[in-house]
Amino acid sequence: MKAQITASFLLFGFAFFLVGESRENHDSLPSNLRLNGDSITKILGENKEEILQTSVGVFRNDKLIAQGIIVDSAGYILSKASSSVGARTIRTLEDQSFPIRIRKRDERTDLALWQVMGPPKSWETVQWADLNQSTELGMWSASAGADLDKIKLGVISANPRVILREGGVMGVLLEDLNISTTGIPITEVLPHSSGDRAGLKIKDRILKVDGRKIKSTGQINQLMQEKDPGDLLTLRINRKGKEMDIRITLGHRSVGFDLFNRNLMMSGPVSKRRDHFPFVIQNDLPLEKEMMGGGLFNLQGRCIGINIARVDRVTNYTLPYPIIAPVLNTWLKGLR
Amino acid sequence: MRVHLCSFIWLLLLSFLPSFATKPAKAEILPWNSAPLNSISDLETIQSRIQNSFLKVKKSVVSVEAEDGAGSGVVVSPEGLILTAAHVIGQSGREMKVIFEDGSEAQAVSLGGSEISDAGMLKLINAVPEFYVPIAKSSKSEVGDWCFALGHPNGFDQERGLVLRVGRVIRKKEETMQTDCRLLGGDSGGPLFSMDGEVIGIHSRISQDPEANFHTTIESFHSNWDYFVNEELHTFQSMQSGGFLGVYCEESSDGLLVLEVVPGTPAEKAGLLSGDLLTHLDGNLLDTREKLTILVSSQNPGSKVVLDYSRQSREVSVRLELSERNSLE
Repeated sequence: MKAQITASFLLFGFAFFLVGESRENHDSLPSNLRLNGDSITKILGENKEEILQTSVGVFRNDKLIAQGIIVDSAGYILSKASSSVGARTIRTLEDQSFPIRIRKRDERTDLALWQVMGPPKSWETVQWADLNQSTELGMWSASAGADLDKIKLGVISANPRVILREGGVMGVLLEDLNISTTGIPITEVLPHSSGDRAGLKIKDRILKVDGRKIKSTGQINQLMQEKDPGDLLTLRINRKGKEMDIRITLGHRSVGFDLFNRNLMMSGPVSKRRDHFPFVIQNDLPLEKEMMGGGLFNLQGRCIGINIARVDRVTNYTLPYPIIAPVLNTWLKGLR
Repeated sequence: MRVHLCSFIWLLLLSFLPSFATKPAKAEILPWNSAPLNSISDLETIQSRIQNSFLKVKKSVVSVEAEDGAGSGVVVSPEGLILTAAHVIGQSGREMKVIFEDGSEAQAVSLGGSEISDAGMLKLINAVPEFYVPIAKSSKSEVGDWCFALGHPNGFDQERGLVLRVGRVIRKKEETMQTDCRLLGGDSGGPLFSMDGEVIGIHSRISQDPEANFHTTIESFHSNWDYFVNEELHTFQSMQSGGFLGVYCEESSDGLLVLEVVPGTPAEKAGLLSGDLLTHLDGNLLDTREKLTILVSSQNPGSKVVLDYSRQSREVSVRLELSERNSLE
């Protein structure tokens, strides 16, 4: 096992270590001149102020959970649905808090529309880019930082594309049986996987999944394909002749099947939902998962999309405006 | 030495090549101040230069696959030489699959490289590359330069394609440079380009700070080119049984500046002093610190070598006998 860990480290990974900022000296590029240094981001000038002015922090119990953008002067906020669950307030650039309530939610795009409550006020709204604005590889793009005090700069970094559903996994290996009347035996439980946490054991035989009788291994695989990471299932199993129910929360494939996934470890916290999007553009901005739901802007301060998932250390997905527009316009039309 | 001690690679490196960052402050205008960015159109100029270069170089970047993982690499010659990281090839003579940007595949064999700088080389087998990229001359890239990184983080993905990252060179010292281009596993061995599309480095390691990652310098490849092409991968392990000299030094424009001479070593016996500038070993130009380490440790203890150095502008040549590395412990 040890050899295996070493091998995967050597081939797939980088050595991972800390570099103290104390090393900064005249041989290093001063922080303010780096890509995300003040001297670079200040070039955006008024456009930077506009980005910050129309971005908000989304809070639950005083904890920042997402970002959002102001999309209507009546105080409607667009954010990432699965990150902003249970949100209570937003905070603006001026550090003012306002209570919010959920108005709309869309499973397909993972967007949610929130409304600011309280006395009416006219809100400054984001300026959307043209629907046909190109978002070609290498194009500069910017987002508001976590505390709305800075701008983060990066580029469109890969091909735009559909992100398919990843499917949930139990983190167990099953005997491959075409037909069985006595359940499907588990041959291995991966340590720290969902199956491990749920208490599944080698030689347990899976009889039913959510009440449906299981007759083949293929049938279980098929069921998992239709589920998402985070979904809760009830398994009826046979353990040493005794039948029992086990509840299991499905995990991510990347975690379940690559235990030594250094990439995930090195990426820091990532979005819970980071798959199954109708279409995304990819960017390399240094964003945290609490900055999802916020806008991605061009250098002119026009919004080109909503950051919809922090995927890993080098990857954010952004829903482009042409995907957002029909959903948002239908919502706003119904509410006005 | 401070904080790097938590690093496995640096730990090994520093155990014989410490660098003492105590150069006097420079008075001249630092390169990054020479052309400050002032306007959005300056940023747009950078964007269009990088986009143009990207189109020219992307067909030369490959994913390097093995049974248990994947890295990246870049084709740099019409003969099919591929630059990558030492930790991607792992050893010499290994057959590996490379995948081009369009999904086409070819077989390659690992040549050599060095674990000191993490430089590695591969060569295509029975295949002539359609595209290859130019590599930058030594000393062409410097701190403050804008640059872009390409690679296949997390492995090859045809739909996603190559992943582009933009940043600046934030440090460059000896065999290592750092940029604020964001990197991830799978990028290892991928190319770092100047804005004009010349290879200036190869992705090596990431730091906890996502905006300060490490690359092998192209200078390391230039300095040791023939050795990397023709000899076995130079490993830390192989170094343990090789010859030993006993100096700590750092690179300067005039040669390798000796910072410390270890007592009881061949270097001390030969009369070397700190402040000496080492220039040649057996007639080989010492243009990088790594080259000295490789030339010394790829010989057996007891071998005799000729070392040229200059002391206060006087050229000196000594003949000395290398010792065993562990003779000190």
